[in-house]
Amino acid sequence: MNTSTLSLALVSLFAALIAVFGLIPKIDLPLGVPITLQTLGVMLAGCMLGPKRALQALVLFLAAVALGLPLLSGGRGGIGVFFAPASGYLIGWPLGAFVTGWVMSLLPTSSPRRSAISAFMASVVGGLLVVHVCGVIGLVHIANLTWEQAIMGTLVFVPGDLIKCALCATVVHTVARGLPDWRFGG
Amino acid sequence: MGSLYSDIPTWLHRVPAGLKLLALAGLGMGLMGAQQWPLLLAVSAVCVLIFVSLGAASVRAKPLVMGVLMASALVAGFHVWMAQPMLAAVTVMRLISATLMGITLTLTTRYTDLLGVFEWVLSPLQKLGLRTDRFALQLALMLRFTEHFFVMWRRLDDAYRLRTGQSGGFKILAPLTIQMLFTTRRVADALTLRLRR
Amino acid sequence: MQPLPKMSTFSHGPSSMALEDVRLQRGNTCVFDGLTLALHEPRIGLIGDNGAGKSSLFRLLCGLDRPQAGRVLVPEGAQAVGMMFQNPDDQIIFPTVEEELALSLPQASFTRAQAQQHVREVLQARGLAEWATRAIGSLSQGQRQHVCWLALTLAPHRVLLLDEPFASLDLPGQALLTQEIANAPQQILVSTHVLAHVRHFGRVIWLDQGRVRADGAGADVCAAYEADVASRTTA
Repeated sequence: MNTSTLSLALVSLFAALIAVFGLIPKIDLPLGVPITLQTLGVMLAGCMLGPKRALQALVLFLAAVALGLPLLSGGRGGIGVFFAPASGYLIGWPLGAFVTGWVMSLLPTSSPRRSAISAFMASVVGGLLVVHVCGVIGLVHIANLTWEQAIMGTLVFVPGDLIKCALCATVVHTVARGLPDWRFGG
Repeated sequence: MGSLYSDIPTWLHRVPAGLKLLALAGLGMGLMGAQQWPLLLAVSAVCVLIFVSLGAASVRAKPLVMGVLMASALVAGFHVWMAQPMLAAVTVMRLISATLMGITLTLTTRYTDLLGVFEWVLSPLQKLGLRTDRFALQLALMLRFTEHFFVMWRRLDDAYRLRTGQSGGFKILAPLTIQMLFTTRRVADALTLRLRR
Repeated sequence: MQPLPKMSTFSHGPSSMALEDVRLQRGNTCVFDGLTLALHEPRIGLIGDNGAGKSSLFRLLCGLDRPQAGRVLVPEGAQAVGMMFQNPDDQIIFPTVEEELALSLPQASFTRAQAQQHVREVLQARGLAEWATRAIGSLSQGQRQHVCWLALTLAPHRVLLLDEPFASLDLPGQALLTQEIANAPQQILVSTHVLAHVRHFGRVIWLDQGRVRADGAGADVCAAYEADVASRTTA
């Protein structure tokens, strides 16, 4: 099997996973902050694919959204979403996926339990920290919030995201058991 | 899952995609620095007019517009509450202008036309090693997989329900991922065969 | 749906495929050891238990796997050998029929618009004009399998490998595919559990644990395999 076609297919697969998370009917939060299940997709992409492919998957996903496909939670899509106050978070996704994958590649994955712990830590750094930092920058520049206000605002969503990190770790744990040869972190 | 493109033709439908994208990029960048409210007011008024001129075609984007209005109201409310009404006005005007024009672009431009522009814009990245010619293929495959995920989810959920009497919920996510990874290997095989030149 | 009348889009010269003393190892299992086969007949059936090596043989022939020893000889050209997998969902890439079929056409000779035109003409010729813009998701399993078959015939393949193509087809679907196989100009190898479809083939090979157990006229080999299975089940 050709590794480059496998990479191509995996990138599309995880972009699809993030789309699936967006298409599941969900309660839309006001202010349009996309801290949704889709962040779980970002974390999973990073842990499973490694930094380079995870980045590609997120770029592919965002490109699809930019082209007009309603793949963000609540059926949102189109270039307009990149001008919304919460667009910082969106831009944070590819970066977050990359960092998650990079951290995952540095951490031990020799057993399912170790992989799960590594996945949790990688998700916190990449999927949570990086995404929120980007989100805050976006809020400051687009919604004209002060740094303190934006940080206060973003902290509200951290508990939910921590749960997602744990969920990501659980999935990684099961995948590690089902596919013992899988190279986490790419 | 349909796209947000509107079949109802408007004057903007005839404008080439690249031109619209360029105008939007220019607007976005111009708005970024703008702080003077008379200018912003004028720009916002023009944007609203353009959007309204789409007429029936804009109906499809109603949820998006509602979302923008809600976000704007919240942001404005916040700034007013912090006793900064001018900041509220400026922020809201920028938000509405940019987002409305983004929505307008999406409503009036075919997916395939935008794709063409994207591929053209991304083509210099090929020198960095990014395979941009495969972009359309990856997009299509992404949509196929999205469909497939739902089918597979339903199938696994049915199996789970038969055995436990309850819906699986997120317990199924991991088995679903494993199944889809297996499918991806097979799809990669088929792709290898079809893309060989 | 009508079967395609005998016509070829690409020239089909003599195809010669062969395996010479091939050894294939997968992990710790030795799938083939010293396998030698000449595959020149226009229609060859491949039967045997699961795990006998039928899919592995196909993967060797289309180049997805490479042997650890020996040679696999196939006709010239990157697209000389094509394969249809068991599950259509594993191989359909594009969301609509015409995009999927257009992928089969050589990109050097067709622009996007020309490819779309050609695909529509081909579908028209088969009475399937309305399939062009249909979403794959709206087609039945059998119809999707048919799309995979069409994609195969549109590509410049000289040899077609069909891996259990009848598995998910209803009776009419099986009848149609049998007709298609009979009329196609390419050399075709069919791996199947439904012996009825290869019984009339000029040559059928029975694979058993990586070795050729029987090789000859379709009717004879099928009968021998059936007898063997019967004796194993009643024993």
